[in-house]
This record gives sequence, C-alpha cells and structure tokens, in this order.
Amino acid sequence: MSIEPKRWRWTIPWLFLAPALIFFTWFKFVPILKGLIMSFYQVKFIGADRWVGLANFERALTDSALGAAALNTLIYVFSTTIAGGLLAFAVALILEGQALHIRIIRTAIFFPAVTSVAVLAEVWRILFYPAQTGVVNSILGLFGADPQGFMSDPNQALFVVILLQVWKNIPYSMVIFIAGLAGINRELYDAADVDGASPLRKLWHVTIPGLVPAFSVVIMLSFIRGFRVFTEIYTTTGGGPAGSTEVIMTSIFKTGFERLDYGYAAAVSFMLFTFTVGLTVAHVAIKNRFSRT
Amino acid sequence: MKTICTAASAALMTFALASTALASDPLKVWMRYGDNEKNVLDQITKDFTAKTGVEIDLFLANTDFETRLARAAVGGSLPDVVVNDATAMGQMLDMGILKEVDRSAVQGGDQLYDVAWQSVQAQDGKFYGVPTSAQAFAVFIRKDWREKLGYDVPKTWDELAELAKAFTEKDPDGNGKADTYGYVMPVSATRGYASWFLSDLIWQAGGDFLAKKDNGYTSSLATPEVEKAVSFARDMICNGYAQPSAITATTGDATPVFSSGQAGIYRSGPYHLAPFSKEPGRDKIEVIAPPAGPAGQAELAEGEAAFITVSSTQDDAARQFIEYLISAEGQQTGMAVGIDSSPIVRLPVNKTVNVAEIQPDKAWATYADLYGKSGHYFPRVPNWKPIRQLTADGFNKILSDCSSDIAAGLAATDETVNVELANQGVKAD
Repeated sequence: MSIEPKRWRWTIPWLFLAPALIFFTWFKFVPILKGLIMSFYQVKFIGADRWVGLANFERALTDSALGAAALNTLIYVFSTTIAGGLLAFAVALILEGQALHIRIIRTAIFFPAVTSVAVLAEVWRILFYPAQTGVVNSILGLFGADPQGFMSDPNQALFVVILLQVWKNIPYSMVIFIAGLAGINRELYDAADVDGASPLRKLWHVTIPGLVPAFSVVIMLSFIRGFRVFTEIYTTTGGGPAGSTEVIMTSIFKTGFERLDYGYAAAVSFMLFTFTVGLTVAHVAIKNRFSRT
Repeated sequence: MKTICTAASAALMTFALASTALASDPLKVWMRYGDNEKNVLDQITKDFTAKTGVEIDLFLANTDFETRLARAAVGGSLPDVVVNDATAMGQMLDMGILKEVDRSAVQGGDQLYDVAWQSVQAQDGKFYGVPTSAQAFAVFIRKDWREKLGYDVPKTWDELAELAKAFTEKDPDGNGKADTYGYVMPVSATRGYASWFLSDLIWQAGGDFLAKKDNGYTSSLATPEVEKAVSFARDMICNGYAQPSAITATTGDATPVFSSGQAGIYRSGPYHLAPFSKEPGRDKIEVIAPPAGPAGQAELAEGEAAFITVSSTQDDAARQFIEYLISAEGQQTGMAVGIDSSPIVRLPVNKTVNVAEIQPDKAWATYADLYGKSGHYFPRVPNWKPIRQLTADGFNKILSDCSSDIAAGLAATDETVNVELANQGVKAD
C-alpha cells in the first residue's frame, strides 16, 4: 500500500463486511422485500399474480383462527419470558463464580441450548408420553396421581410446550446474567457490607439495579423468540390438539405451505415482522431513556 | 461447390447434434413415493428407457410434495410428469400447473376402469390426469396376539372394540407389563389426518361428509350417523384402547406404533403390507376387511394418477411414459413381485391385469375385493384438501375432549365446511 494508504482506509471495514452484507442482502433483505410485495397479491403459481390490495391484511384482522393463535402466542411469550427470566436469574446467582464444579454444572446446564430443537422435541415427547409408562407420568404415579395427557390434552399442551421453551432458554439467559453479574462493581457490595445490609437487601439494592441492562436484553430476546416461535411447537404438537398450541408462525406455515395461500401467509408474516421490529425499536428507546436518567 | 457442400453438411451435422441433444433431454418425473418404492421405480424406468430410448430423471418425495411443486412452479422449474394422489388434483388445478389430458388419445386408456378415470375428472368434465393405481383400506391385526388371547376376527364395531380392549388389558405380548394398546389411530389435525382416518367409520355408520344436491353440495356432518362414528372413535381414545398420543399422531407417528409391537390394530392401505411383513413379520399379521358399522361395511378408496404439467415441452415422451405405466407390462412391474420394494401399483387400474394372479400374498385379494365391493372415494369437489383440513380440525377438537358435545362440534364444523364450499363455488342453496 504505497499509494496514499490513508485515502483508502475507509474501505477496509466495508471489505470485511462485504461478504456478510452481500449474503444478507441476497438471502434476507431481498426475500423480505419479495414477501412484502407478495402480500398484496393472490399468488398464482403459473402466470401473473392477482393484485388484491390490502385484502390479505383485512382478512388477517378478522380471521378468528389467527386471533386464537395470536392469543396462544401472547400467553406463550409472557409465560416463557417471566418464568424463563426468573429461573435463569436464580440459576445465574447460584452458578456465578469460577470454581471447577460450578463451571462443569454450567456447561451441563448449557446443553439444551446447543442441542437441535428436533432432538429436544423428541426428548420432550418421551418425557411427557401421555401413558402410565411415560417418564413424568411414572414419577407422578409415585405420588398417586393419575397419568396426565400432557401434549395430548388441550388443557395442558400449551403449558408443556412453554416448559420446553423455558428449559431451552434458561442457559442463554443465564450466561447473559452471569456476564452482567461479573460487571457489577464489587465495591458496591463491600460498601453494603459495611452498612450491614442483609443478603436480600444487597440483592435488591445492588445486584438487581446493576443487572438492568442484562434484564432488558433477556426480556427482549425472549419476546422476539417467543413471537416467532415455530420449530418448538411444530415438532412437538404441530399446533394441536384441537388447535390448543397453534401459534402465529405455525398458522402462517399451514396457510402458506399446506393450503398454498402464499399471499395471505406473506401478509401475516409481514405484520408479525413489523410488530417485532416495533418491539425492538421500543426496547431501544426505553433503554436509552433509562440510561440517560 | 465443395465449400457449399462442406458448409451445408456442417450445418446439417450441427442441426442433427442439436436435435439429438434435445431428444435425449431426460424426462423429468416427480413421484410422491419414498425409499420403500425406490427399487420398483428403478426397474420401471430402466425397462421404459430400454424400450423407448427416453431417459427418465426421477425425483421422489414422500413429504411436502405439494410444497415442493409450488416452489418449483414459482421458480419455473416444474417437472414434466407428476405422479401424485388423485385427491391432490384439485389443488394442483388451483395452482394452474396441469395440462388437460385427452382421454381418448391415451393409448391403452380404454383398458382402465371407469371408476379410476372418474378420480381424475374435474368439475368441468375434463380429464387432467391418467390413473395409475388404486387402493382400498383394510385393517391390519396382530394375528399372533389375537389367537393367543383366543379372539375371533372382528366383524363388527363391537367386536373390534372388544379386541382393542383385550389388546390393551390382557398383555398380548406376554411381557408382564401393561404396555400394549388396541387401536392405532392417527387423528392429528395436521394435513387432515383425522378426517382421512375417520372417513371409514363415517361411511360404516351410514353418514357422509357432504350431501349432494342438484346444484352443488352441503356439509352433512351434523347427523346421528356421523355422530355415531365420531363417538365410536372417541370412546376408543377415552377408554385408553388407542395408543396414548393418538390425538397428535400423524401416520408417520402411528405406523411405528404398530410395527414395533406397541399396538395390534391398524387401519391402513396395501402399501404397508411389505414393511409390516418384515416387521412385525408376515406370520404375525393378518389383513381383514374393516369391521362393519351400523350401516355395514365401507372403507376409503383412493388412487394415484400421473399428470402432465403445463410447462412440459416433452408431451410425447410424457405420454409415452404414462402409457407405459398403465400398460399391462407397466402395471405388472409396478406391483413389485419379486422386487424388494413396496409396489407403486397397489391395485391395478388396468382391467386386463388381475392382482390375485400376480401377487402371491392372499391379502391382495382382500384389498381388491374391498375396492370392488365397498370402496368409497372422497366427494369430487373442486378441491378436497381444504375440506379435509377443516373437517380434520373439527374432528380433532371433538376427539381431544372426552366430554364435549359431539353434535355441537359437528354442527360447527358444518358451518366452516359450507363456507369453503361456497369459496369453491359448489355450495348448494
């Protein structure tokens, strides 16, 4: 680089970014745009698509099946976020530190996060097999409980798939919390000790305020993951029984790939996309406001 | 002169080469079969190529077949020939990917059963495919279990329920554990399985999905007959005689339950005869006519058909291939006798081919007999698939709640089906 190295320096980061940018443009941004365009059409597979304007969006707003799926999704999102967040926080408090046994346990706890969802789903189906011989049912049997239907019972199925998501998400959130815990200034704890604060008070006045950024990341990730959940549901219950675990994404999938109604599926996808983008923007805005004060 | 000659012959050569290149473009064929049928399909394509010189580029997919077709259509890379369930024709017509078939121009077409031809006739009266295979559903029973417990072959619903109860409670595999079940039921709503499975029972009870009127159809599920059928199925589940996860099971989940010896009764098609003969074993299973319901015997009849796509530029080769599939020779090879494979021709559609003479296993005679006597096709609406899905959603909902009001559930399903019938333009007033 003998000729004016400084003049071309700005290109270097872009050169490094270029492969990813090209890749994302082609495989993400272009399909997103095409999806948006598709949502204004009734997609014909041969020949020209038929322009339907906002009809697909209007249909989405009045579709009672989609409404039921949206309600299930909301229950799913809030339950997984609250239960997953609290449990991950507790696990992080217990497993903070560098001792060998703690690191081993942490690794073990991380396993569900790195295992394929299809495998987890199968594990779940084995654990919650709805007969006397099922693992969970035989444990319940020790306490004299009747065998439960779990994922075959419309009243329990959603709860069981929520449990799967919670179990799978705890490790991720735990790592974020542990990183957050490591970032809290030790002097604050020392000062609290000098003031004679109880462990609970230290948790409330030092740990939790110090973890606000970690909480916000965990909540946000859990929200986004929850709203677009698909594989966890599709591989365990497929949305059944009786639609009790149908969520927005499984409903989109069925519309698109079983009924082959691409236009409507694209419209609902785009609404979900806009919603999650909105959530993210709101999250950033709230976080900025919080860090200013 | 010499130069002109050289130039002309060069041009001719190029043309000849180009046209051979064109002629040897393999015929792209997609079939809704899987590994179980691969060997027989290899044999068929080999024989066909040897006979005609036309190469076949074969693609098999058992799952997501229509999705793949849709993707191929959007991407402009449809195959030339598609072999698929005849019931999928409506959806493919909706997608606009099928070419009309001139029935009278199909060589050997006059040798096919008329009822098979009807399965590829659309509402407009035109034909859009050529039937290649037919089948009726029957019931597989673990013969060894039944004989061990001392029961007769079930001939009625009551006897079927008795047998299912015995398989569940009397430890037919003799391992001392209560780990066996009676009836394997795939009644998930996914892809409409619940509707597909319950169809036999509905017809056996004397009910039907749709009522045909002069100017179209209306949904006819809220009847005492259909109620009986659904109630019979629900009792099976709620009494615990079905496999535990029946309510979320597709056939993909259900089939292993039978083959691995967890349950002893399974309603399925002849395509399972080959795999079940390996596991649990031919000596352990028997194929029986579906036990009769209150209105007698009935079972689902279905078929496969070959379709030519609108984008195919190889009409002649495509027709030749289809004509080979329906010829006596093609049908015989398709039955996979002596080939380690499941047959692609379950029951021949060609009148000149007699399944009982070709298939050594006597169970085939049972299937052929059922098809001829009591087989029911699904109603021929423009697109059966959405209706199958809606009825499956409805049935699955009723079956998953042991105390729900069946009649009310059926009435609610009638409403959604009527809306779909109106969408398809075939709703009677």
